[in-house]
Amino acid sequence: MSTQLLWKFALIIGVIAVAVFYVIPPEERINLGLDLRGGAHIVMEVDTDSALQYELELNQSRIGQTLKERGISYESISPAEPTVMEIRGTDVSRSDEVREVLDQQVGRWAIRDLGSGDWRIVMPPEYRTYVENAAVTITLNTIRNRIDALGVREPLVQQQGMAGDRILVQLPGVEDPERAKDVLIEPALLEWKEVTYPPGVTDFGNWAPPVSREQAAAMFGGTLPADTELFPETFTAADGTLGTLWWPLKRVSVVVGNDLRNAQRTADEWGESQVSFELTSDAGRRFQAATQENVGRRMAIVLGGKAGKSVLSAPVIQDVIRDQGRIHGGFTVERAEDLALQLRSGAFPAQVNIIEERTVGPSLGLDSIKAGVIAALSGFIGVLVFMLIYYRLSGLNAVIALALNMLIVLGAMGYFGATLTLPGIAGLILTVGMAVDSNVLIFERIREELRLGKTVRSAIDQGFSRALMTILDCNITTLVAAFFLFSYGTGPVKGFAVTLTIGLLASMFTAVFVSRQIFELVLGSRSHRVESLSI
Amino acid sequence: MFQVLVNANFDFMGKRNILLVCSLLVVVASAVVLAVHGINLGIEFQGGTELQVRFVESQDLGTVRSVLGDAGLRNYQVTTIGDPADNDVYIRVGLSGSEEEERDQVIALVLNALTPGELGDLAAAGVIDLNRTSQRELLNKLAAAPGLTEGDATLLAAAVLEARRENAIFRSMDELAGLPGMTPEVFDYLEKQATVGPFALRSQSFIGPAIGHELMEKALWAVLGSLAGMLVYIWIRFQFQWGLAAVVALAHDTVITLGLFSLFGMEMSLPVVAAFLTLIGYSVNDTVVVFDRIRENTRTKGSTMAFTDLVNLSINRTLSRTIITSGLTWIVVLALFLFGGKSLASFAFVLVVGTVVGTYSSIYIASPILVVWRSLVAKRAASKHLGRASAGRAATKKKVS
Repeated sequence: MSTQLLWKFALIIGVIAVAVFYVIPPEERINLGLDLRGGAHIVMEVDTDSALQYELELNQSRIGQTLKERGISYESISPAEPTVMEIRGTDVSRSDEVREVLDQQVGRWAIRDLGSGDWRIVMPPEYRTYVENAAVTITLNTIRNRIDALGVREPLVQQQGMAGDRILVQLPGVEDPERAKDVLIEPALLEWKEVTYPPGVTDFGNWAPPVSREQAAAMFGGTLPADTELFPETFTAADGTLGTLWWPLKRVSVVVGNDLRNAQRTADEWGESQVSFELTSDAGRRFQAATQENVGRRMAIVLGGKAGKSVLSAPVIQDVIRDQGRIHGGFTVERAEDLALQLRSGAFPAQVNIIEERTVGPSLGLDSIKAGVIAALSGFIGVLVFMLIYYRLSGLNAVIALALNMLIVLGAMGYFGATLTLPGIAGLILTVGMAVDSNVLIFERIREELRLGKTVRSAIDQGFSRALMTILDCNITTLVAAFFLFSYGTGPVKGFAVTLTIGLLASMFTAVFVSRQIFELVLGSRSHRVESLSI
Repeated sequence: MFQVLVNANFDFMGKRNILLVCSLLVVVASAVVLAVHGINLGIEFQGGTELQVRFVESQDLGTVRSVLGDAGLRNYQVTTIGDPADNDVYIRVGLSGSEEEERDQVIALVLNALTPGELGDLAAAGVIDLNRTSQRELLNKLAAAPGLTEGDATLLAAAVLEARRENAIFRSMDELAGLPGMTPEVFDYLEKQATVGPFALRSQSFIGPAIGHELMEKALWAVLGSLAGMLVYIWIRFQFQWGLAAVVALAHDTVITLGLFSLFGMEMSLPVVAAFLTLIGYSVNDTVVVFDRIRENTRTKGSTMAFTDLVNLSINRTLSRTIITSGLTWIVVLALFLFGGKSLASFAFVLVVGTVVGTYSSIYIASPILVVWRSLVAKRAASKHLGRASAGRAATKKKVS
């Protein structure tokens, strides 16, 4: 063996060693896609309009609270447009004080005195953009926190989309996608609201709320007060049937969701699951004031969920509460754990909608792996048998090159941490179909040259050099297609484009370089004359 | 030595006009099939909900359909999928099958509809369904089992889930008896605290309407983009008309394959679009191989041979390579089609058909276009030349007279 050939083989063996290093052990090196290992792929969209709405509500709540603390009366604070709120019926004589409160709470907003105690407050556009962007960022973080709490291994959370308002979540191996989804997208916006008692009620603790919207309206003499809204509470009657209570509650909340510092599942004295929470000090101050005012009355705990807001419970306030409390709701262990998790990880500042979801159960993934491997192996064996019969020992050369090609593809996938998907397995075996094209092109050319009466050595030289440009052209055109495939694809299809690309690049090395060196090795030194070639 | 078509000498170009017309007819026929039959779009493109469910017992599809109808769903399809012995049922609900605000709740609606009432009562009493339960729920249950330490419970829960992964579904409680770590006491406990529900969920997907629109658009751009990419590359490496000929051949392959895809009612999905892009990348190879040979022969024999004969010679010389390579790729994609399971079937179908059509087109579409283009250019040049010559003659005549 010449020194030059020796170096070339050293290079080939080096490549093999590196590839093997990155393949072994395969179960650690090769990432399986969700379609093979099972898991959930969820794309969510943050509804930025609702973020604006929440922002308005939060400011309304603050303004209302401050006006009340200052003893300034008002009729209502309500949203007029997505970025506009209106305050009605403030005391005209104290309008300077109202402006002072507004300047202090929403100073950067456009504040307009409509006269006769009405105010119109408009959110500035740059603040709107800020709220929309913040909604996505906070949602992203909240989802990360919730996933961490779910205990999923190797999750993926990514911001996506042209407007950047989409969030991709991948949860490998999740057994119960419905629960994961519930936990992830539930807004979990917790609020405490004061009950608006109908006129004439004196026994606040034992007052029975209405069971229908109509009854509620009738209690207030036809129409609800402007600052009051009805919220449903579902309950199970003694006979097992479901019923709904309609609580008339103040629009402006005492405390809102993000005021929570901590929440966890605990058990009450009868061992039933409940959720205990702690408030931040600022919220605790507000809560203290509100509970002080409402001792002996009920206050409602409202949870904003996917299906809208509903009352979890409306306990009678026994004593002033500062910063700690508990929520009862007839929870199961799992529900209480989930609720605590959601409250702990923070509320969404916006509505989140699922726009795409794909979940593959682990058993289907296993079936796909089996089917994919059987299909790939039978295709590979088919190619192998044909090459050996048709090109005999040269065919063996090609088979070695193909096997090495597959090894390099797997090694490269291991190195890049690329993900193997079911279409990726198809891509792997298709690569074999395409890589073998280079061998066939070369071998057919060698045969042609042999038929023209050339010596074995010059036929091989000519075969390789003449076929090279054609092989390059073929592979580059396929790479162009693979590029568009990659830019188009999501998930599994991207995996396919990746295996195809790596496979084609590797085939230039294996089919052209390695295969050539094998011929050189078999034919021996240059001075030695070769009479025939097994091709 | 085994050989095919060693000294092939077919007159491919002789029949070029007949074959070009035939190809055109097939393309038109495919377009008509596409227009009439349409393409069965998967939920990725249309939006909607898709579930694959395995039942313990064989199901009457009519019953399943009426159960879904009773649950208030509309616009749904129910079919069996895979080996009938597995009792796998595929349920697809279109976007219009439910109210807008509950589109992403359809999965839950379907699952609730399929769950018999007794099971709901049992669940209320704390009995878990082993075919649907999550690891956490199972662990909570097993943690309270008699005689199990926390470690034992974790191991047993893992064993139960592993068995479910292998078999996809438990058909009776007895299948749990032999699991590692299962004791008679725990088994008795589980018989009271757990049950095997009538079905297991194998996969579920929901695609909102916005996504489908986007994907459709992206797919179209990717196909057009890769065709344009081919045109530019071959233009650079050869000449513009060679690139054009190759792209016409590729468009031909794509349209005919789409036509057959539509005729067989295969379902369009993301991997299928990938298959079409792969087909474009692969099918152009045959054309490039022939083109390369034509160029090489033009260099060496161009002065002594007519272009038509050169093309014929080049195709004949590369014919064995074309057939062997296409045959080998065909073996591979056929294996994918036959053994790859339902998810790969539509994908492989495109390549099974496309490989054959693509091989044909590089011989009968791309090369003849080159020949036709050449002869057209030659004719125009000749007539221009002729025109100039006769004008010249007329001028001379005038002078003479």
